[in-house]
Amino acid sequence: MVERRLIVLGVALALWSAAVAGKLASLQLVHHRELASKARAHQEVPRTLPAPRGSIYDRNGQPLAMSLPTQSVTVNPLKLPDVGVAAGLLEQVLHMQGSGLYDKLKQAYEKGRGYFVVKRQITPVEAENVRALPVDWIQIESTSQRHYPKGTLAAHVLGGVDFEEKGNAGIEKALEETLHGEPGEEMLLTDVKRRGIASRQSNEAKPGTPITLTIDERLQFEAERQLEAAVELRGATSGSVVVMNPSTGDVLALASYPAFDPNDPPEAAGDAQRQNHAISVPFEPGSVFKVITLSAALETTNLRPETPIDCGRGSITLFGRTIHEAEARGGYGVISMAQVLQHSSNVGAIRVGTRVGQQNLYDYVRHFGFAQLTGLPLPGESRGKLRKVPQWTATSLASISIGQEVSVTTVQLAQAVSVIANGGLLVKPRLVLKFGNQPAPQEPPVRAIKAETAFTMRQMMEGVVMPGGTGYPEARLAGYSAAGKTGTALIYNFKEKRYTHNYNASFAGMAPLTNPSIVVVVTLNGTHGDSGYGGRSAAPVFNKVATEALRILEVPRDVPDDPTKTLVAAASKAPPANDLSLAGLGAGPNILQDADDDEKPAPRANEAAVVGPTVPNFRGMTMRDVLAEAASRGLTVLPDGSGVARIQFPAPGSVLHQGERIRVRFAR
Amino acid sequence: MATLPAFFRRMEATRPAAQAIPAQSRAERDPYHLRALPQENVYFFCKKIDNSRLVREPDPQAKSACWSAIGVATLAVAILAGVLVPGAASTISGYRLESLRAEERRLIDERRALDLQEAELLSPGRLDQLAQNQNLVTPKSDQVFHLEGNKPDAAVAMVKK
Repeated sequence: MVERRLIVLGVALALWSAAVAGKLASLQLVHHRELASKARAHQEVPRTLPAPRGSIYDRNGQPLAMSLPTQSVTVNPLKLPDVGVAAGLLEQVLHMQGSGLYDKLKQAYEKGRGYFVVKRQITPVEAENVRALPVDWIQIESTSQRHYPKGTLAAHVLGGVDFEEKGNAGIEKALEETLHGEPGEEMLLTDVKRRGIASRQSNEAKPGTPITLTIDERLQFEAERQLEAAVELRGATSGSVVVMNPSTGDVLALASYPAFDPNDPPEAAGDAQRQNHAISVPFEPGSVFKVITLSAALETTNLRPETPIDCGRGSITLFGRTIHEAEARGGYGVISMAQVLQHSSNVGAIRVGTRVGQQNLYDYVRHFGFAQLTGLPLPGESRGKLRKVPQWTATSLASISIGQEVSVTTVQLAQAVSVIANGGLLVKPRLVLKFGNQPAPQEPPVRAIKAETAFTMRQMMEGVVMPGGTGYPEARLAGYSAAGKTGTALIYNFKEKRYTHNYNASFAGMAPLTNPSIVVVVTLNGTHGDSGYGGRSAAPVFNKVATEALRILEVPRDVPDDPTKTLVAAASKAPPANDLSLAGLGAGPNILQDADDDEKPAPRANEAAVVGPTVPNFRGMTMRDVLAEAASRGLTVLPDGSGVARIQFPAPGSVLHQGERIRVRFAR
Repeated sequence: MATLPAFFRRMEATRPAAQAIPAQSRAERDPYHLRALPQENVYFFCKKIDNSRLVREPDPQAKSACWSAIGVATLAVAILAGVLVPGAASTISGYRLESLRAEERRLIDERRALDLQEAELLSPGRLDQLAQNQNLVTPKSDQVFHLEGNKPDAAVAMVKK
């Protein structure tokens, strides 16, 4: 009897256990996913992991652009209990009275939109007020806002972002993929009071990569300030300044005027203000381009700096058209090629260009990087214009020789002058120094011209800032040797199909001459009158920007501050000439005639035209003083012995020829 | 010692006089009164028992069983604690961790805001304006002269008045 009862009890227990096990299996195996998701829905809340857009820094680590988290208020118009009540409530809480919120909400409701952003970037107080509302149809979304703490500084380089924080201009647009961050998401296990207990990451946040630019904000500020002052002083319409390290290609400053504040929405500023004149607006460079012509001549012909060029009586007639010098109506006569550059002789440059020839000139213009993109990571870069040789007209060679019939950008000019400054290498300009902590890749430089050609051109360009040069005294730097070239090109009126009397004034220079640390190119568009020439309007900007840049970069001074003590090569007391590259050219096509004497051997240069530094007197000086004196003058000294200088060769006062060194013997 | 009827009578006797039943015989009060209950003549009395001389006999097995029970209970508590404490500690740590994460995010945001503020304050334009207000502008080149002596290190830039 007892055994039977035990058996019944056992069976009952077994059945009960089986029922419990079955239910457990049903709950934990069969309906596990459904129940788990229900549990998660109750206990877990999704949370967005912020991935801020990458910051942008200048080369010294100063932030130029950075993002801060902010909050936006959104509603679902289809779930609003009453549009009028909701609009009134939101207007009051978010301080949006008079914003037409009711109309917008009603419109969104009628269109069936389920998402409406009421207000972006709300203040913490507003967020607190919204959270305090006992309604469930208002959502607060975490977003991010881009800030440009320096205001208008480097605005054209940085560009800007739209309301979704997507780049819409400048480097923000060009490097959108790098700067953009991918927000992550995690599920947060919460208690009944919605306090977080544990989190489970579903998507990892990928913050944007910070970018370090080659820009130096101090130089950028100075360049922008001087550019703005010059544009307003000269009555120009726009302008640009590029400061570049010729050895590395680092763009230290890239200024464009007019400027804008990237913190303002794009509607607030017109397209003209947002246009980057340094890279997007090509112009005819004018006489600055003679540097290219003369470089090509040094490379492809037997012309040397001292080779005399017959500039005639101030005009040259080619194919029935007469081209005049800009300044010297009487003509320069026979002057050396160095003086052609120094005086910016149109006739001389055309004669030199004619010697170079079409194909050679075309090739060298390309070698200097013109008619090609520089590769700067900025949208809207112009490659300039240069027709292929078969498309050239009879006048093209002459026009291009003096910087017409070719269009360039300020950055391209800086790149070309860097070739001369760094010894003949075409270094691509670069704007990004580092991606995160990784240095930005850089293309290896390509040799454009021979090193000796570059050195020779450097010396010839020094004459431009010396007495008699078109850049003297405006481009002369106190304490530093400098070289450069002025340029003034007439602006073509496309409507009237003729050149106007407004100029593109420019100056491209480098300093210090012995080992250039910087290249500065200044362009002012729309100058006019005598003060609108490159030497008078753009060169002063070069002077101020270069002086400040050399001070900031702590470049040692290489000449005395007092200009009267400066080494003057082929000093001349002639008043500064203007360098208008198309003076005398009227409307209509130009027909260029070949000069008969182009094929003749160049006559010997007279002694007075020889350009070269004079040898100082080192006798009695210590070796340290001799080296310091030589360095300040950009001369190379070969010392021998010890003590004080006793003997030197060449003798003091003699002219030092190209490549010649001074030997100084020291004895006690 | 008293019989039950006596006991009840004694109880009735303690009632207040106003409520006391008139002294009449039960038969007179209730002619239908039943006879006495069975064993009505049983008397209760108190008997004093002295257990002080009783001594429990020592039981070694019971003691060991007691200690065993204590040990098992302790072990059970320890196991239970070992199972439950990590979970509880994990939950508490989770609270703390999430709180710290929120604090970290807040501090990161705050630091970014401060970085932004610092960048705005160090803007070259603002610094230049402040410097100009205090006549701390960069001297022009003709205002600077270098002391050129035998010791180049002693060359100091000075501003002419």
